[in-house]
Amino acid sequence: MSLLTVEGLHKHYPAFHLDDVSFTLEPGYIIGFIGANGAGKTTTLKCILNLVQKDAGKVAVLGRDFTQNEMSLKQEIGYMFGGVDYYAKTRISKITDVARRFYANWDDELYRGFMKRFSLDEDKKVAELSSGMRIKYSLTLALSHRARLLLLDEPTSGLDPVARDDLLELFQELIEDGERSILFSTHITSDLEKCADYITYIQNGRIIESRTKDDLIAAYRLVKGTQDQLPGVAGRLIAQKTHAFGFTGLMKTENLTKDSGLTVEAPTLEEIMIYHAKKEADYEKPAV
Amino acid sequence: MKNLLYKEFHLAIHPLFYLILLFGALLLIPQWIFFLAMMYFFFILVPNVFTMGKAQNDIMFSVLLPVPKRDVVKARVMSIVLLEVLQIVVAAIFGVIHMRVYSVKNFLMDPNFAFFGFTFMMYALFNIVFFPMFYKTADKVGIPTIVANIVAILFASAVEFGVLLVPALKELDGMWNVGAQLWILAGGIVLFVLANIAAYRISARRFERVDL
Repeated sequence: MSLLTVEGLHKHYPAFHLDDVSFTLEPGYIIGFIGANGAGKTTTLKCILNLVQKDAGKVAVLGRDFTQNEMSLKQEIGYMFGGVDYYAKTRISKITDVARRFYANWDDELYRGFMKRFSLDEDKKVAELSSGMRIKYSLTLALSHRARLLLLDEPTSGLDPVARDDLLELFQELIEDGERSILFSTHITSDLEKCADYITYIQNGRIIESRTKDDLIAAYRLVKGTQDQLPGVAGRLIAQKTHAFGFTGLMKTENLTKDSGLTVEAPTLEEIMIYHAKKEADYEKPAV
Repeated sequence: MKNLLYKEFHLAIHPLFYLILLFGALLLIPQWIFFLAMMYFFFILVPNVFTMGKAQNDIMFSVLLPVPKRDVVKARVMSIVLLEVLQIVVAAIFGVIHMRVYSVKNFLMDPNFAFFGFTFMMYALFNIVFFPMFYKTADKVGIPTIVANIVAILFASAVEFGVLLVPALKELDGMWNVGAQLWILAGGIVLFVLANIAAYRISARRFERVDL
């Protein structure tokens, strides 16, 4: 049974439109939700949690409709929207004292364990914590009520490389028992190369890709060639960048032909994202 | 709901605000406009609780808890209503002292049963204007505060002038017609209850439509 199923999510804003967003998340996996700033990542997460009213679409958690079972399903979910940014001048112990009352599965021992492991001091105020510490406190709250689905919005943004690596390792550890799943949105794609199993790529409110990371990378190829070779392949490229020596472009692997001395490489997630964004930008550029 | 109320009184509403309730002691000032003492509640407490909530991102914290969105509104309305009732109770104690100690009648309305009945009505009006206006955006505090204050002040002024100038309403001053005053008090309480239920329902409906 899927931990999270999102089907046909629509949300209209005057200047932005979340269009038919669908994806699923099985237990025991990490799904990376990537897209540029403003692509609709946070809006999608907020639609999932009913913080933003969706115009259409269905969200199911543990196979049950989220809107109809919001109260009980929220017990199973831990979320984090960019670290703790509430009650900044309040002591952590006081926030925990309030939060723990709301969860039937709250486990004090687990809570203490994570606080110790993350070296979090209960007497500190939220404002006194670094960004990394705030994220860890958020995670502690989520894990202490035994959340099975973790929805994390940009958990690694603003962290130094060591803290990021540390966090990614923790994510891996959390899903090891096959019970929990993590959906985490980010624009730092290198984080996902390290730990994600699935990638869902959103651009301008539309899902461009949603599949396993390996499949996704295998589906695209980075092609390099000279200026002379460009006309022959331009039609098959998703987008390309030209420079003094030639061009570099992204192509679907299925469109690759055995011809012509082109250099073919596996792209990184970042490159897939950049060339897709470039395609959109080129398309929208007014013809002069 | 018990947990959300715990959150309101332990996290959201700073204990310092309970001191506002002591403005009830202003009822001991002789020859004063006693409605003013009751107005400090929405001059100071209400706008401050809501702006502090905004500064501390209270709404986001609350809606992320495993509670329905409308319960967040219910807890806040209930906690303000509870503080309003406490404000009236505190003021009533000083009202009783006032009526016993001073032998000279006040020029304006005395702090008698009718006065507290009208206070309930004034709070009812404030709530029915303020809460639905605030929860339309769950963000803007200024305009709802100003509008609700104006409505409440206009109501209190009308009562003061009515009792002073309309002969039929003179009965409601002093302790001359306790029976009629008790009717006003009962009416005030009924209106207060009904207005708060309506204020909660409209606010909750509006808040559910707000995109956070």
